[in-house]
Amino acid sequence: MKKKPTLGIYGFTGCAGCQLSLLDCEDELVDLFSAADIKVFYEAMSNNDDDALVDIALVEGSINTNKQLHELKEIREKAKVLVAFGSCANHGCVQAMALGDGKWEQRFKQVYGDTKFTVAIPREAQPIHKFVKVDAFIPGCPPSKIQMLRAITQLLFGNKPTYTNSPVCLECKFRENECLLNDGKLCLGPLTMGGCTAPCPTHNTPCIGCWGIIEEANHIAELKLLKEKGFKIEDIIRRFRMFGGSEIVEKIEKLMEVAK
Amino acid sequence: MRVLKLSKKDEKKLYDVLNKFGEVWAPVPKGSRYVYDKIEKKEDLVSYNEFVRTILPIKKFLMPQDFNILNLSPSKFETPKVDIPTRVIVGVPPCEIHALNILDKFYTTDFVDNYYMERREKVIIIGKSSLPDEYLFSHKTNTSIVEEGYDLFFIDLGDYYLVWVGSEKGDDIVRLGSDIFSEDVPVDVAHDFVAYREKRRKAFTKHIDLEGVTDLMELMYDADFWDEFGEKCLSCGQCTMVCPTCTCFNVIDELELNKDEGHRRRYWDSCMFKDYSLVAGQHNFRESRAERLKLWYTHKLKAFIGHFGSPSCVGCGRCIITCPVEINVETVVEKLKG
Repeated sequence: MKKKPTLGIYGFTGCAGCQLSLLDCEDELVDLFSAADIKVFYEAMSNNDDDALVDIALVEGSINTNKQLHELKEIREKAKVLVAFGSCANHGCVQAMALGDGKWEQRFKQVYGDTKFTVAIPREAQPIHKFVKVDAFIPGCPPSKIQMLRAITQLLFGNKPTYTNSPVCLECKFRENECLLNDGKLCLGPLTMGGCTAPCPTHNTPCIGCWGIIEEANHIAELKLLKEKGFKIEDIIRRFRMFGGSEIVEKIEKLMEVAK
Repeated sequence: MRVLKLSKKDEKKLYDVLNKFGEVWAPVPKGSRYVYDKIEKKEDLVSYNEFVRTILPIKKFLMPQDFNILNLSPSKFETPKVDIPTRVIVGVPPCEIHALNILDKFYTTDFVDNYYMERREKVIIIGKSSLPDEYLFSHKTNTSIVEEGYDLFFIDLGDYYLVWVGSEKGDDIVRLGSDIFSEDVPVDVAHDFVAYREKRRKAFTKHIDLEGVTDLMELMYDADFWDEFGEKCLSCGQCTMVCPTCTCFNVIDELELNKDEGHRRRYWDSCMFKDYSLVAGQHNFRESRAERLKLWYTHKLKAFIGHFGSPSCVGCGRCIITCPVEINVETVVEKLKG
């Protein structure tokens, strides 16, 4: 019989909701555990084999300490394929909303004062691709069951996972919602990676972009549109940054220029 | 073609007649708009006086948004058997019936799309005329009056509806409902009908001048305004989802976890998305947003004529009220006409 692929599921800083969502796939768990030889999954098992070499590493969470950074690099060395699993690993998520503003140390001091850290020296939250080569990603905050299982299946078959490269608007229209932008709401649907099935706009709540920025996102056009609709630039940028992580940092200068 | 009358006092009995033929679906309010929804009780079947523009057009009945077209295993592959209910869709406006006729041509010319056909055969269309609202411009696309493509068609003439029978199925309905459909249609009804037509014709206020647009699409293909639209476009894809004649889809094969099985999925796609025109080797035929917009408008206003003899815009006005950044048939035609 063919040897099962080995899988490690690792977590850094985040809510651990991505791993929990995987555990929530109750009907498929037996199939998953049968299809893969799981070496590490702290959220679900004891006897984790930290030293194991794995075919696939799913890495959840952002990197917030030097210790995590060290561990991430070790995982990279042990894994054939490293997958950023969920928003924190992909782009930093909410803990990276002020990334690159130069005020991290000031904020840190405000919260922790002069506390000395000895084991895990804190650092500004960053997505994992800032430190190691990432071979594939699974978007989501947390990833949806369908998309997550689809991606893991593709990985176990040795393929690169495909993802929904269409914005939230596609599934929002599938569900026949009126466009919240037309309703004067600050909705980030067009900028945000789909696959979530648009639950928020379906409940009349604008998209806040939690799955991360889609490749084709046209932030400049959205900024101009929202400005025309009377939103304040600070509010728009703050919303862009909320889940924009490292990707919005690259766009921010241009956006501020346009905003003027 | 037969014409009958349905008195408004018998209107409530219509549901039971239609329900004998299948599930009854009709527009119901959702926010400030409408959606086609299943009607479970006869009180819920409402005839609206105003023009009803549902968020998604009737194409949603004819092509599922996301479905399996093939189940695969090492020994065989087969089309999944699905039980498609017969659906009676009530209150379909003329422009949407024109769109349906366009879809029929599209899905049956050269190659017959069986997934479409098996659903098309299970749909009964009960059309209805109403006065235009401020966005409807079907009088400019020659789709404001409909002569084929429906099973029954209703025109509201005050105390009663004139009911056109457009198919055998339609004829079955009026025969089964012979207690409410009256054959007594005196000649003077024609005066009311002509007066209604005239009133309706004058009620159109959205005058988008489409004359010569086909040629202008050719001449203005490299005009700068396309880039301006490209910069504004959010690539949200809403225009293609709401357009009654958009048909693009993607097909993808997926394997099952821990099984030697898989399936082939087909789902609505949009030419406004970058991946739509991405091919092997990472080449993209329409890398920029402006190119994608040009493709869409070329398809709607020009290319379709070459294939099928008419443009594929039916003047429903959905793109006008849906696009958040005002890229729509009206603004594009304005630019084309300089």
